[in-house]
Amino acid sequence: MNSSTNCSFNERRLSSRSNSGDADDNVAQAVANMSVLSRRRNTSVSEPLSVIRTNKRAIYTAGRPPWYNEQGELKEAFVIGLSGGSASGKTTVAEKIIEALDFPWVVLLSMDSFYKVLTPEQHEMAEKNEYNFDHVDAFDFELCCETLKKLKQGKSVEIPMYDFTTHARKKETKKLYGANVVIFEGIMSFVKAELRELLDMKVFVDTDSDERLARRLRRDITQRGRNLQGVLHQYNKFVKPAFEQFIEPTLQYADIVVPRGGTNEVAIDLIAQHVYTQLEERNLNLRSHLAHAQIGQPLPSTLHVLKSTPQVQGIHTILRDCSTGRDDFVFYSKRLMRLLFEFALSLLPHEPHTVETPQNTIYDGRRFSGTGLCGVSILRAGETVEPALFSVTKDIRLGKILIQTNLETSEPELHYIRVPRKISEDHVILMDATVATGAAAMMAIRVLLDHDVKEENILLVSLLMAETGVHSVAYAFPKVQIVTTAVDKHLNEDYHIIPGFGNFGDRYFGTE
Amino acid sequence: MPSTVKASGGDKYNNVTMSQNDRDDEIFTGESSSKVKLVTTNDQIRRLQTIIRDKNVSRSEFVFSADRLIRLVIEEGLNLLPFSEHIVTTPSGHEYDGIKFNKGNCGVSIIRSGEAMEQALRESCRSIRIGKILIQSDEETDKAKVYYAKLPKDISKRTVLLMYPILSSGNTVLKAIEVLREHGVIDEKIILLTLFVTPEGIDTLSSAHSKITVLSTEMNPVVPVHFGKKYFGTD
Repeated sequence: MNSSTNCSFNERRLSSRSNSGDADDNVAQAVANMSVLSRRRNTSVSEPLSVIRTNKRAIYTAGRPPWYNEQGELKEAFVIGLSGGSASGKTTVAEKIIEALDFPWVVLLSMDSFYKVLTPEQHEMAEKNEYNFDHVDAFDFELCCETLKKLKQGKSVEIPMYDFTTHARKKETKKLYGANVVIFEGIMSFVKAELRELLDMKVFVDTDSDERLARRLRRDITQRGRNLQGVLHQYNKFVKPAFEQFIEPTLQYADIVVPRGGTNEVAIDLIAQHVYTQLEERNLNLRSHLAHAQIGQPLPSTLHVLKSTPQVQGIHTILRDCSTGRDDFVFYSKRLMRLLFEFALSLLPHEPHTVETPQNTIYDGRRFSGTGLCGVSILRAGETVEPALFSVTKDIRLGKILIQTNLETSEPELHYIRVPRKISEDHVILMDATVATGAAAMMAIRVLLDHDVKEENILLVSLLMAETGVHSVAYAFPKVQIVTTAVDKHLNEDYHIIPGFGNFGDRYFGTE
Repeated sequence: MPSTVKASGGDKYNNVTMSQNDRDDEIFTGESSSKVKLVTTNDQIRRLQTIIRDKNVSRSEFVFSADRLIRLVIEEGLNLLPFSEHIVTTPSGHEYDGIKFNKGNCGVSIIRSGEAMEQALRESCRSIRIGKILIQSDEETDKAKVYYAKLPKDISKRTVLLMYPILSSGNTVLKAIEVLREHGVIDEKIILLTLFVTPEGIDTLSSAHSKITVLSTEMNPVVPVHFGKKYFGTD
């Protein structure tokens, strides 16, 4: 008779929020479903931002600035906790905050994703509308806390997808990565001390209880076709006691109480301003720091330079020559890349391996002793080295990371990532055509580490590097193996390698 | 003598320009010796050799690994060719002291298994001339016999990269060198590129042609003589 109001209410919210979409690892997809993102400009935003929206995802043309310092250490994400009674307008407030912040690296994490998996008996009760979803015990606080902690540390996390028809977690999970600001929202978000500790700012949305009931009635009756008794029964039995017992007492923990929810523009502006101030304090001018660090130091032991044979020197001469046409440039760079990758592969761990030969003898050989191998290229120029990797490896899995330099700030910005799943035990060959300051390479390494790849399992492979870039990467990530065909001494004021071979991507693709 | 041969694949190979290390690089087999150079070995090269040796490996894996090893030998072989200094200007306007390889080289493959190495040479040097020599064992006398040879006309003026993956008894290669000599190529200008050699094969070769340079990846009394059959899928 009385269908499960609470459940479907939550289900609706889930489907429009952090649990939505496929399980793809899309950067900051949580904000992709925002209904409107206003063009309101805030004084603190220096870079104009535009968003291309498709059905499934939003593509941002302003990327994520560095979220780590020149030691490669993470700057923690800023976490805003949002609490308030059911139907108090937390979602609206969250959306308004994102709108006011007006930058893409914001993820929205809902506590609804962390409902416990129900036993068959509990499932029965839920079917009869007798299971209390508005109770502290209904949530898996442990997992919730662990997930939020990792997200705050900048790690990639798997968000469970709760299925309200079976009351179990779906097989697939949603991957969330790349947050500078996390908005954590839920009716019980201030209840546990260990969760509260993770929140940098606690906002309580305080809407009058009559107003909340009125909203609930309106929503459930007009939009869901429920009857009045059913909704009231639910409200009186679970929702109202829960608010009084668990939620209302947590108001004391709030830094800011927002009356009237999403319509309170003054409060939302204040929150956004505070977040800006906090984020600005964490910013630093990374690239110029990098360009001047470590000059004159001996080159690190993790650097491996391909032996400078006559052929390697000859190819370098052709690539560096400004009068070399694109045809030759492409041909000879490919040859050099192949030699580079053969060299890089020889640095992977191997173990003895004995085989039988057709000549009926035993041969003491070698084989790769790692768990797996995958490649990740740094777009755009990194894409040019992919074919060479394919020519020396069979069926290798390949990820891509798009990093662009913001022309105003000269800082690298992360725009897009697609990293193969389950790479935490793999050796990863991270590829870019050239490494100048090392800023983009460091960002890409940071992305891999955030995906739990082991630092010692990363090989940064590049045709040409500048000394300062080598130092920066080695200083921040001393276990990463750095592999190249030559290290040039200098960078000019535009951070180009000197003598170098010009802009590799432009010469390769003919866009100079 | 074979007993003086160093263990397979373990020797440092440095290119010809670094003559101070030559003593470590070259393996002398008796008084009359060909210069045998082994590509600097590493785990990845050992892995490729293992796959080629393994009797249980699939053909596609075999060909893929053989092609990789061949390419490495070809690239190393090209390092033995003559070059001169060459200064260029980079796009940033700086000078770069480089080198330029001289013209006047060619490749010659010994049919059939030598043809497996042609593609790698072509991929490294787009316009290089490639000659071919067909040598087969006479079924009655069991001696190597030349059936066909097509070589660049001016081959006597060129440095020749002779390609044949397996040097076992050495008879086939000896016959090919004979053909080259008939066309006016002197031993000093012949570089034999091969994947696997036997000490016996090197002995045979060096007693007849001490001035030839041989580049290989491994010296071992047992060599994968099934190479051509497996590579071309006729086993």
